Amino acid sequence: MTSLEAAVSAAAALERASKQQESYSNTASLPRIGVFGNGMPETLIAAAGALPVHVSVGTTEATHPITAVIEPFVDEQVRHFLIRLMNGDFAGLAGIVFARDDAPALIAYQYASEWIRQDREREATPPLFLWNLVHTGTRPAAEFNRTQAEKLFAFLGCAGLARPDDSKLAVAAGAEAERQEALGQLQIAVGVARSGRTAAAWRNAGRFMGAAEHASLLRSALAAPADVLNTTTRIGIVGSPLASPSTYAMIEQFGTVVCDQQNFGQMWPVPGNAKASLKDILAATAADPSCFRITPTSAYRAALVKNLLAARCSLVICQLAQTDDTFGWEIPALFTELAAHNVACINLGFRDAEPDAAWLEHASLTISRALEARK
Amino acid sequence: MSTPYVPLESTKIAADYQRDWAKGLRAQITSGAKYAFVNADTPHELFHHMGLPIVTNQWWSAIIAAKQLSEFYFDFMQAAGFHERLARYSSLPLIAELEGDATRQPWGGLPTPSILCARQSADDHQKVFSLWSEKTGAPLALISSPAVPDPQPDWWRLARDDWEALYRSDRLDLMVAEFEALIEQLEELTGTHFDRDTFALYMDRINEQERIYEKAAALIADAPQCPIRISEQIPNVMIPQWHRGSAWAIEHAQRFHDEVAARVAGRTGLVKNERIRMMWIGAGLWFDTGFYSAFEESHGAVFAWSMYLPFAADGYIRENKGDPLRALAARVSAMNEQLHQPPWINSWMVEQAKRFRIDVALMLIPEHDRFSGHGSLFAKQALEAAGIRVIEVWSDMVDQRQWNREEITARIVPELDDLLAEKV
Ligand code: SF4
Ligand code: SF4
Repeated sequence: MTSLEAAVSAAAALERASKQQESYSNTASLPRIGVFGNGMPETLIAAAGALPVHVSVGTTEATHPITAVIEPFVDEQVRHFLIRLMNGDFAGLAGIVFARDDAPALIAYQYASEWIRQDREREATPPLFLWNLVHTGTRPAAEFNRTQAEKLFAFLGCAGLARPDDSKLAVAAGAEAERQEALGQLQIAVGVARSGRTAAAWRNAGRFMGAAEHASLLRSALAAPADVLNTTTRIGIVGSPLASPSTYAMIEQFGTVVCDQQNFGQMWPVPGNAKASLKDILAATAADPSCFRITPTSAYRAALVKNLLAARCSLVICQLAQTDDTFGWEIPALFTELAAHNVACINLGFRDAEPDAAWLEHASLTISRALEARK
Repeated sequence: MSTPYVPLESTKIAADYQRDWAKGLRAQITSGAKYAFVNADTPHELFHHMGLPIVTNQWWSAIIAAKQLSEFYFDFMQAAGFHERLARYSSLPLIAELEGDATRQPWGGLPTPSILCARQSADDHQKVFSLWSEKTGAPLALISSPAVPDPQPDWWRLARDDWEALYRSDRLDLMVAEFEALIEQLEELTGTHFDRDTFALYMDRINEQERIYEKAAALIADAPQCPIRISEQIPNVMIPQWHRGSAWAIEHAQRFHDEVAARVAGRTGLVKNERIRMMWIGAGLWFDTGFYSAFEESHGAVFAWSMYLPFAADGYIRENKGDPLRALAARVSAMNEQLHQPPWINSWMVEQAKRFRIDVALMLIPEHDRFSGHGSLFAKQALEAAGIRVIEVWSDMVDQRQWNREEITARIVPELDDLLAEKV
């Protein structure tokens, strides 16, 4: 294989993983542990000898009786997950870990556990675990988080995995550091050779494979032929978790998404992943400003502004899940702060996980009008 | 015609007390006394015990709404760029603060609080309070809120004594540590010392008060006919709860209990011939309390249950067990989760419905307040499985404009007709 062929094949593998999602890992030789939400350092699972595989990105056309207890204000990703879980889609996993501080994850955990506790109709489901990490830097919080890590290891132990020692943690963290480095390279290529859509797909492909494999695919794929780019505007995205390729495509008619500040964007992987010791992994995860529950509370918006300005965005697009009740509180102050730096901000409002053509068209019109008005 | 319903003496006494208390608080605060602005699910006990006056977010919100200002502020909220699906009722005070014209507000506006306190039970709490803190410069004390991974369905049986096992040691350790940090902050703020011996006695008095409410709830549940309306249950519990553990609160709880006991002893029922018993699930309908009696004449249907009275016992009694601060953590650590998280909410609803011999449940499901709506459908199914009819009312209930009495009445009447037909 020439290096170009290798690059094209790596890029194709990343695209495939991002489409196939957890089924990309079906042939993995390691036991797989599902992860729902950001805020669970995958390093801990990998160090225990399992492959962490995300379960919250997928959607389904199927249905299941559990929808009778899902209220309309429950996040779409939770609804899709619960249907898939109860239909047996995750039966091949050795367990699923839910990050409590990621709002949809808590509800997914509670509704799934209750359905199972009531022993209602379902296919095989793996054991479930709630990961209660508290996002505060105090000593009691650090102790609490340490206890949660022990509980996680006990849970993984029940799945037949060994409690990771320091050297295993260091190896797993090393792979995460490689991944971080490769993602850094990818981010540098965005706006030069890669679109924001590609970057998001390639980054999220890593949710379904090991960190080392992800790093190596990313490194090769970077040499693949460049995307066709519109580089007129450097765009940032904020708001609810967005994993819709058509929405990226719509936004990138106007420029390139160079700063993707939402949970399915650059907020993952969490910053604690590449730290070499348990203590540091937990502390860095707890200090992750991309969590809504971060203390001090001002850290969330401050990090957004810092990242968007560092990426030299001149346009920031905000988009919201139908169920948003949290990010909305940030919008006015965020827009004001960005406007002071001469960044244009547009709020596209509420959208479905996969918005329909009418929404996309309307959103596109909103953006072009706003840009027109700015001229 | 049946004899008209005679309100309890206690109801007026409670309302008068609250009015005088609010007047006193206003005088204190507007003349420059330090005070704390806190959310409803925070450890009020710590502030009370330190003698620092508190203004509660939800209470202040009701005061603003009572001044007919909600509409103005909701419009402002939208104009300021906050979207319409954000929690509104609990954010009215923040919006008023952001709007900035204090002369418009009750009391001519609140001065800057010395401290803000919220618990991270719902995701938006910390956002709302952090905006307050940004605007006013007041420090924000946040109480974290890890979830209970393995919630025991029959929590109310364990919560009083076995709270360590129910709420889990790691969670209680963390919360106690956060209380200690808050106490230190309050000591500095007030220049007084947190007296742990008298705090234990204070916590005992709260338990004493809640036990009185427990007896009152039992009287109402067991009486052959429901003796009082829930529109009277609610203020007679809620007002003393704001002042829990005070001499007045305990005295008032007893007064309310005794009045209920007298009605039960005198076989006084809400209606002459009680035929249907209903429960009202969700926050109180404070702007149309008359609705609670709307089906008494027509169907002999009474609202016998609202959560406030029975929750006084199940949600608040926590035996001190030599560690009152930890007992307080047990009270606070799942306070609203018990009302919103399955299986806690569904099992408790069924238990209560059975105890109060309920036929029909009216279930308020907010459309946009995710936190307070979660678990509603689990509860609905559980109630139905227990043989109770459930009528869903999808409404945010934040303001009067959303309440359509005719529409709801039109859905309830056929159910009640049906039920009466079945009972013949
Ligand atoms: S989320 Fe619910 S409990 Fe919390 S402030 Fe809003 S309305 Fe109140
Ligand atoms: S009932 Fe629920 S929503 Fe209402 S104040 Fe209590 S915890 Fe909050």
